[in-house]
Amino acid sequence: MEIKVDELAGVKYTAKDFASDVDVKWCPGCGDYSILAQVQRSSPDFGERKENIVWVSGIGCSSRFPYYMNTYGFHGIHGRAGAIATGVKLANPKLQVWVATGDGDMLSIGGNHFIHLCRKNIDVKVIMFNNRIYGLTKGQYSPTSEKGKVTKSSPFGTVDFPFNAVKLATGAGATFVARSFDRDPKHLQDMINRAAKHHGAAFIEVYQNCPIFNDGAFSLLTEKETKPDNVIVLEHGKPLVFGANKEKGIKLDGLNPVVIDLSDGKNSVNDCWIHDEFDDNPTRVFLLARFSDIPNFPVPIGVFRQFSKPTYDKDYVQQISDIQAKKGAGTYEKLMYTTNIWEVR
Amino acid sequence: MENKTNKNGDARLMKGNEALAEAALRANIDAYFGYPITPQSEVIEYLTREVPNRKEIKTVVLQAESEVASINMVYGAAGAGARVMTSSSSPGISLMQEGISYIASAQLPCLIVNVVRGGPGLGTIQPSQGDYFQATKGGGHGDYHLIVLAPASVQEMADFVFDAFKLAEKYRNPAMILADGALGQMMEKVILPEAGSLPKAPAPWATTGKPKDRDHNIITSLFIQPEEMEKVNLRLQEKYEAIQSEVRYEEIKTDDAEILLVAFGLSSRICQKTVDLAREKGIKVGLLRPITVYPYPYARLKELANQVEFMLTVEMNAGQMVEDVRLAVEGKVPVYFIGRMGGMILSPEDILHKVESVKEK
Repeated sequence: MEIKVDELAGVKYTAKDFASDVDVKWCPGCGDYSILAQVQRSSPDFGERKENIVWVSGIGCSSRFPYYMNTYGFHGIHGRAGAIATGVKLANPKLQVWVATGDGDMLSIGGNHFIHLCRKNIDVKVIMFNNRIYGLTKGQYSPTSEKGKVTKSSPFGTVDFPFNAVKLATGAGATFVARSFDRDPKHLQDMINRAAKHHGAAFIEVYQNCPIFNDGAFSLLTEKETKPDNVIVLEHGKPLVFGANKEKGIKLDGLNPVVIDLSDGKNSVNDCWIHDEFDDNPTRVFLLARFSDIPNFPVPIGVFRQFSKPTYDKDYVQQISDIQAKKGAGTYEKLMYTTNIWEVR
Repeated sequence: MENKTNKNGDARLMKGNEALAEAALRANIDAYFGYPITPQSEVIEYLTREVPNRKEIKTVVLQAESEVASINMVYGAAGAGARVMTSSSSPGISLMQEGISYIASAQLPCLIVNVVRGGPGLGTIQPSQGDYFQATKGGGHGDYHLIVLAPASVQEMADFVFDAFKLAEKYRNPAMILADGALGQMMEKVILPEAGSLPKAPAPWATTGKPKDRDHNIITSLFIQPEEMEKVNLRLQEKYEAIQSEVRYEEIKTDDAEILLVAFGLSSRICQKTVDLAREKGIKVGLLRPITVYPYPYARLKELANQVEFMLTVEMNAGQMVEDVRLAVEGKVPVYFIGRMGGMILSPEDILHKVESVKEK
């Protein structure tokens, strides 16, 4: 049933309207609680009736998400949330489709579906809870675990290199790419709201603490004392500055980002790289995304990139209506009796 | 197929998954590829922990990005002549079916361990026998079979690693150990097979490079000409016929049995107790436990159909093996079924009650 926009008038939701009556079953202290709370707090601002919202997930701790949202939900197959969400969106493009997934679910077996969701620019919003560990299976390394990480399945340290999810999403063609923390509720709400307004494949990586199997993985980035020197907040049109007193900045020296001291008299804020979310050349996004891989560089949070590109679902519907406008709507008779037919005598 | 056990009596108290992993190391596997899934993640955890501690072991252990990747890594390693295995639990084994069909068609030996949990779908992490059809009737596409061993104890979780590799290499066919979540997780005394006591069959077909004196060899499952594809199928069928001679089963108190329980794996352990309870009441119940579920002991069941009043198949599923029992007895005696699903387990008393209620009919 189609719900007309004017039916929304007068519907005022609060965060509570989006909380289901299912008991939330994550470990005490899990970062997932915060992500759930921020999504529920942001949802009233989406401008969508909750009946028009679908949360799709795969398998893992993060994938319990749809049970806890008072919207439609789909607990899918390991790694396949991207494909399932694509199916949901194409079957009914009027729905607002969200995916809740984790680093294991989306970047291991789900890697293939993820890159194609981004490439096709399906209008689906993906929130990836990245705790850099397999939580549900009790502590094996994931595709975002740092090299050398000791886990239950790598007791002597991992040998493989991790994915940088922002780079991956950007490279695959996602049209909205952002990062936030479970421990920064306001920032996370802001990212969720902006993803909600975006049309096209939107990806938010949320650094999320797993207190049981990977506790403190992001504490350097989230603790009051260390956060200012280790996190840089990306804002469109603003210079890249960080530090407790904004005394440090990032300068672009050709294609090399350099940390500069803004208090030494030699450099000023005017030398800093100005962030441009709408730059359609992804080169600078890759440079930004690389910060998290370079020692002593601040880790960026915020919107890395957003740009407008036709979405698969819109173009697909458009294509059909264009053909129908030209040839008229098809009928069974036309299909059977107009092309390539012959009589057997 | 008696295994040589360590003369020193290497008895330990171990989890089924760990006993299986230890046996794999003692079978000198060249490679293990897997992906964590409850209730069998201990296999990869045990292997990654133990391999570096043992100088004599050169096993590659890799956590793949998925079960699809795992089985294809197994395909690659098996094609290169390696003794290779993977393990998973039901949803993961479903993901492997495409690769398993290709491996069977390409006639490569390997071991696939399924520590079954309740399904369908994501199901539950509790034990089940719901994958019997998948394991014994195919699962993937095309006419192929796995050699399937169904352990009923931690001891057999270890022993069957050796037996499975022996059969897989003898017949160049993938073998499966069909366990369940309880066997994987429970701890029992186990006497481990002696390390290095399983010689490896020569693999002249392996892709080990092409010296001048060797024919060009490609591992493939593609035979586009129907005449050729049929020949490959006939060869496979001939092999499955030969594999029938490897059938194994265990009988408990069948000599004078008037009622026969048929159960494999964990269910057979429960049935042993039912046999005792029934006999205390003067009901002559016996038990046949298929150890290989492919090949299946059809012939022996057919014989027993001449002796017993009825058979009762006991399974942790909706009734899968019962179809094979009915095929075996060819309608000579009634075959009843009792089972539970979704990770629930029958008690010996439940089964006895069923025996009594059928008997009273």
